[in-house]
Amino acid sequence: MTSIKRMLVDPSSNDSITSKVYIRSAKSGKVTKIVREIYLRTDIPCSSRLCRACLANAPVDSNNRSRPFVLSEKPAGTTQYKHGHYLMPDTNIFLQCMDAIEHKSAFYDVIVLQTVLDEVKNQSLPLYNRLVSLTKADEKRFYVFHNEFRQETHVKRGQEESINDRNDRAIRVACKWYQKHIEQAAASSSATAPAIVMLTNDKANLAKAKSEGLNSTDLNGYVKGLKNADELLDMISSSLQDLEKKANRGANVYAEYFSLPKMNTGVRNGTLHQGTFHTSTYNSLEGTVGVPSFDKHLLIVGLENMNRAIDGDQVVVELLPQDQWKKQSDKLVDQDTLTKNENADVDEVEAIVTERERRALIDEAKRIQRSQDESQKVQPTAKIVGVLKRNWRSYVGHIDPNSVNRAKSGGQQVVFFRPLDKKIPRIRVFTRQATQLLGQRIVVNIDTWDRTSRFPVGHFVRALGELESKEAETEALLLEYDVQYRPFPKAVLDCLPSEGHDWIVPEKGTSGWEKRVDLRDLLVCSIDPPGCQDIDDALHARLLPNGNYEAGVHIADVSHFVKPNNAMDDEAASRGTTVYLVDKRIDMLPPLLGTDLCSLKPYVERYAFSVIWEMTPDAKIVNTKFTKSVIKSREAFAYKAAQMRIDDKSQTDPLTEGMRILLMLSKKLKQARMDAGALNLASPEVKIHMESETSDPASIEVKELLETNSLVEEFMLCANISVARKIYEAFPQTAMLRRHGAPPATNFDDLRSQLRARKGLDLRVESSKALADSLDGCVDPQEAYFNTLVRIIATRCMLPAEYFSSGTQAYPEFRHYGLATDIYTHFTSPIRRYADLAAHRQLAAAIEYEALDETLYNKNKMDAVVKNINIRHRNAQFAGRASIEYYVGQALKNKSTEQEGFVAKIFSNGFVVFVPKFGIEGTIKVETAKTYDADEYILELEDGRKVVLFDKVKVMVNVVKEQATGRRKTELTLA
Amino acid sequence: MEGLRNDGRRWNELRRIHCQLSTSSTNADGSSYIEQGFTKVLCNVTGPAEPSSRQKVKQDAATVTCEVYFAAFSGTDRIKRGRNDKKVQELQTAIQKTFASVILTHLFSRSEITISIHILSQDGGTLAACINATTLALIDAGIPLKDYVCACTSGQSTSIFDNEGSTPDPWLDVNYLEESDIPSLTVATVGETEKIVALSMENKVRIEMLEGMIAVGISGCAKVKGIMDAEVRRYGKTRLEAATGE
Amino acid sequence: MPKEPEISLAEKTFVLEALKQNLRVDGRNIHSFRDIQFSFGDDYGFVDVRLGKTRVLARISAEIIRPRPDRPFEGTFTISTEMGPMASPSFEVGRPTDLDNTLSRLLEKSIRRSTALDLESLCIVTAQRVWSLRADLHFLSHDGNLIDTACIATITALAHFRLPVVTVSGEDITIHPVTERVPVPLSLLHWPICVTFSFFGEDDDGEMVCVLDATAQEEALREGDMTVTVNKNGEVCQISKSGGVAVEAETLMKCARKAAEKVKGIDKLIASALRGDEIARNKGNLDWLKEGRSENER
Repeated sequence: MTSIKRMLVDPSSNDSITSKVYIRSAKSGKVTKIVREIYLRTDIPCSSRLCRACLANAPVDSNNRSRPFVLSEKPAGTTQYKHGHYLMPDTNIFLQCMDAIEHKSAFYDVIVLQTVLDEVKNQSLPLYNRLVSLTKADEKRFYVFHNEFRQETHVKRGQEESINDRNDRAIRVACKWYQKHIEQAAASSSATAPAIVMLTNDKANLAKAKSEGLNSTDLNGYVKGLKNADELLDMISSSLQDLEKKANRGANVYAEYFSLPKMNTGVRNGTLHQGTFHTSTYNSLEGTVGVPSFDKHLLIVGLENMNRAIDGDQVVVELLPQDQWKKQSDKLVDQDTLTKNENADVDEVEAIVTERERRALIDEAKRIQRSQDESQKVQPTAKIVGVLKRNWRSYVGHIDPNSVNRAKSGGQQVVFFRPLDKKIPRIRVFTRQATQLLGQRIVVNIDTWDRTSRFPVGHFVRALGELESKEAETEALLLEYDVQYRPFPKAVLDCLPSEGHDWIVPEKGTSGWEKRVDLRDLLVCSIDPPGCQDIDDALHARLLPNGNYEAGVHIADVSHFVKPNNAMDDEAASRGTTVYLVDKRIDMLPPLLGTDLCSLKPYVERYAFSVIWEMTPDAKIVNTKFTKSVIKSREAFAYKAAQMRIDDKSQTDPLTEGMRILLMLSKKLKQARMDAGALNLASPEVKIHMESETSDPASIEVKELLETNSLVEEFMLCANISVARKIYEAFPQTAMLRRHGAPPATNFDDLRSQLRARKGLDLRVESSKALADSLDGCVDPQEAYFNTLVRIIATRCMLPAEYFSSGTQAYPEFRHYGLATDIYTHFTSPIRRYADLAAHRQLAAAIEYEALDETLYNKNKMDAVVKNINIRHRNAQFAGRASIEYYVGQALKNKSTEQEGFVAKIFSNGFVVFVPKFGIEGTIKVETAKTYDADEYILELEDGRKVVLFDKVKVMVNVVKEQATGRRKTELTLA
Repeated sequence: MEGLRNDGRRWNELRRIHCQLSTSSTNADGSSYIEQGFTKVLCNVTGPAEPSSRQKVKQDAATVTCEVYFAAFSGTDRIKRGRNDKKVQELQTAIQKTFASVILTHLFSRSEITISIHILSQDGGTLAACINATTLALIDAGIPLKDYVCACTSGQSTSIFDNEGSTPDPWLDVNYLEESDIPSLTVATVGETEKIVALSMENKVRIEMLEGMIAVGISGCAKVKGIMDAEVRRYGKTRLEAATGE
Repeated sequence: MPKEPEISLAEKTFVLEALKQNLRVDGRNIHSFRDIQFSFGDDYGFVDVRLGKTRVLARISAEIIRPRPDRPFEGTFTISTEMGPMASPSFEVGRPTDLDNTLSRLLEKSIRRSTALDLESLCIVTAQRVWSLRADLHFLSHDGNLIDTACIATITALAHFRLPVVTVSGEDITIHPVTERVPVPLSLLHWPICVTFSFFGEDDDGEMVCVLDATAQEEALREGDMTVTVNKNGEVCQISKSGGVAVEAETLMKCARKAAEKVKGIDKLIASALRGDEIARNKGNLDWLKEGRSENER
């Protein structure tokens, strides 16, 4: 009997097996010892085309093919190595100077040792992925040599040897072996052997290599021998600077938050301030907090001061001393370039602020000191000391492919998630499906953000589909703007009339007709965009015997169907508005109501809420009447069809005549409004034509406006204003109104000084009238589009209009700045806006049609409603714009065109260009600008070209896949 | 990458196999020890013997029972697998069923053959090593078998690093790391017939890949059989020499 | 342990001889399944599957729990099987048989290990709250092929189940009642379906007789079996054959391909049963699917 002990096996195979022992320590503190076998072999080729021996011996795969050899027979020489050379860089060379190595002009025929590759992988996954793609690309001739598996080059770690020393030794051993091997190979084919050059910046390693008789040099030394040394040296020195500074990095955790009582007391006695944090759109290292006690927003600069706050969080801030106050940055900084090479998976505590970011900030500070004299531009700065309420939600985005270890298919890994919203930092996500999720649009929630973690940590929620697919991108933007797009639940559908589509207006005199006026005889028609299904409004007009005109606006009587406080009303209130995307509509109300029972379809009887005026021929209102009614629309026109009908002189039927009256009156109404100082603002609106079969976007055109558009608009404005007066009169405390605050003059500061500097024009902003008039004066005889450009920019200086409940503001504050009216509400689109529905109910109560529900005269409840619909309204606009942006991107895909654009904004390192033809704008970043004249708004580029604000520029419009979001986006470059 | 696996082997290479017969002198009728890479398994066989309980009595055949014990130190993490652990039970059932069909059980009616297996170290291919160890122990115990039962694992590497568009290599005899990364299966064949007596796969893999994996696995089984057979003959020879030398 | 009654020698010979000529006692083709019938309960995730006389009940339930500390970002999913004397007199209460173990391991491997259910999507707040799903299987009647039936029942129930919508804003978690937000289906990445082959030795032409969907009687007489789990995309999720008659690799490959083909049909059956239930569920005076939609063509 034998005991269990290693039997003597074939001695030749014995020393070809060795084992690797290493200790793994997990974050939890658990330490595990891992032992792995390694099979050493002699058939790993050197992959040099010089070598016949290795070629004969080359291994084959299951398809009986062997890999072609990589390293060229006659590699390039340098001044130092005249007979050509193969490079063998160590780990740090790759870690520090990848940009230079990727450069086209140098670094060919490189031997990447397995030891080095493994180390790179452990240090930085993104760099590893870049290195791997280099080894896979044929042109650079990078070869991975598995030195750890080759018998001659395998190195066992010595007793007292550190891992780094061992790895350095492994590189030297491999270098030595290669040198000898290549010399032999060259000798056998009587060629000159290229040198094997070990590249390292480690002095100790360099010295040892020299003493062992190896060719070795540091990177600078090597590059100096190359042709375009200067350019490469620049790239190298900047990356080496990083390295030096890394040594003295500072605090590596975020500051602890103050306790809640401390924050509360601080806020109460004024030492601390409370507000909502917003990240800058252009600079990811900067944010602002608006607090009541300061006019200007408080600036939060740097991640340390942001202290884990995310856009939208309720935060408490502490002011920084006045000598640290700063000007708002005029530099573009995005987090991608800052965090390009970071590893998602880090166990140890990392520096919160990386050297790259620190440098970006220091550059900034220096520049600001130079321009210190512009003290009026300096803003108070602050740091965040606590977060009262997190604004965390579900984020849509994609997995950063560079952070994924593709070779690992099953196990858990940590990857970076890039939210679509650039204001949100990257999120670290733990997942087992990283490889499957690549290329997918996914949803992630944030869970925590620890003091010791540079990025927040979240978890995968679900995948929406492939990046760029219409379904996934549409759902993504709905989620991103928090649009409720799920089906209506049963409780809501239970509130619909049980007759369904068979519902009709009951016979006259039966229930439903109480206090309703029969207006079925009126020649009512509707004018809407083509194909409109949810028809909210219809109009009529006729001449009265007294020479005045009667004009009526009839609005779908949604409040008849949607009773207060039932499930449907709650759902509508929470949705707030219907959202219009390019190809679809997310309804606020179930389609049975929206497109059928409420919709003022032609030829059928419908309930309506009518506003009827008596107007003089000058369109002065003599008398206004509000009533619930029954109407029967005679026709549903598209804008164009209505216009043609009006223009067609041969049509003289009463309906057309009525429309002509409406048009005539609307022109007068508009004139009156303009005289009062209403603004004619511009927003870049485009329309996307879809190919009907594939529903792919085919072309883009700028929206065309007809007289009939304005006809409808004027009467709707008129109705809204009339209703606003009526409900305010009835409910002075809780009327649902809409206001547009006058923008503070400071909002126009930039635009005014820009106009003055560039065009010598003066923009007056003391009133909307003055603004309207001076905007009219902003013309450039040479450039017709200039006026529109200024209007677009001016629009962006405005405050957003908002809903409010009348009790929350003083009467003068009711003013609608843009429309130049003292009071305003939304009444005319109850199918698609909840505010209008509320106004309907209030109006119905005001005319004593029905009693008002409690929610609409309870101040607190009204405030809640108003707050929600303001948010929903804004999100709906954003979602609509994002949808257009997506389709524009799809329409322009693979079509690179040169277009005219205008410079709309200028930074010290870039500028924003607006392209009218497609209604898009894009930022062009300039890596190296020669000069930047902040007073004249002129940026001189390195090639001597000057970019001047407001000027026309030729740009190339390309559609590229944006790395940061995985979306196809238009990208502009200077033509 | 570059056709090499994480321990330096190529796609069609087995790990080192070391096997021994008659490792336990006292309590077993047959015993064996096998190392496949760092997977180490010890197997004892007792029987044919009186069944331990009445339920196990079969009128026309011997009952095969199998008990598997995982040493707590066998994996990287110290885990004690109890008797009711589903994985343990599954392993037991798999081994028991496999051998019930290979042992000539009809020769030993109303008796019981007990296989007990101790897994000392796990580094991938546990089931395969268990089956191989059992075959050796049964041979050592002199229990008649139809033929050797030899098992081997194979895996399907992913195509990530292969940019030539060809199907990626199947890998023979996966180790623990590979087993957790790529789909793999265990296949056991009878003698040199290439007939499969046991097959087990737990990962998702495209059906087109299956054939290659099984083929590689079967070729591995043949190699394993060669190694085991050599050891049996070598051991038999020493026993014979010892016997005749006396 | 009560043993199943032995099959008489005459019957045994008859069945086996017939199978050698590719004939079955119930007249089926050797590769055809018995009829699969589904009936759904009022609640989501409750399904009763019948395969001939074999009958399995599956029910999915969900609760919110604290996740396992080593998997803080994943929900949990457990399958529990209940085999009592109701299904067959040979099953005893509280004493798991080999079949019991095999079955639960097979389902586990087929459905859990193949990540059919995306557990990460069940996470609500990492390390705080996750959904814990549980499938309870009850075997009401056993006439062979329990494994395939159980697998079909589990997958159908999972696909039928709806999870209440949970929203997390800041640190608040809201679970919306089913009437307020339409509950959402689980994230089932694919439908793995088990197909079990029973081997009956070689027929007269020397080919292995591989029978699908064996009855209890056939199961008692078979020489070996193999379960292949495949989804309709042709991905094999699991194969297990332990012991029994040794089979040529080529035969096994044929079985695997046959399974892949069968699964496509079964997949369609499940899908149409689910669709049928959806329609039946929404019957009223309104077409729910249409009227409930809030995303509409513009």
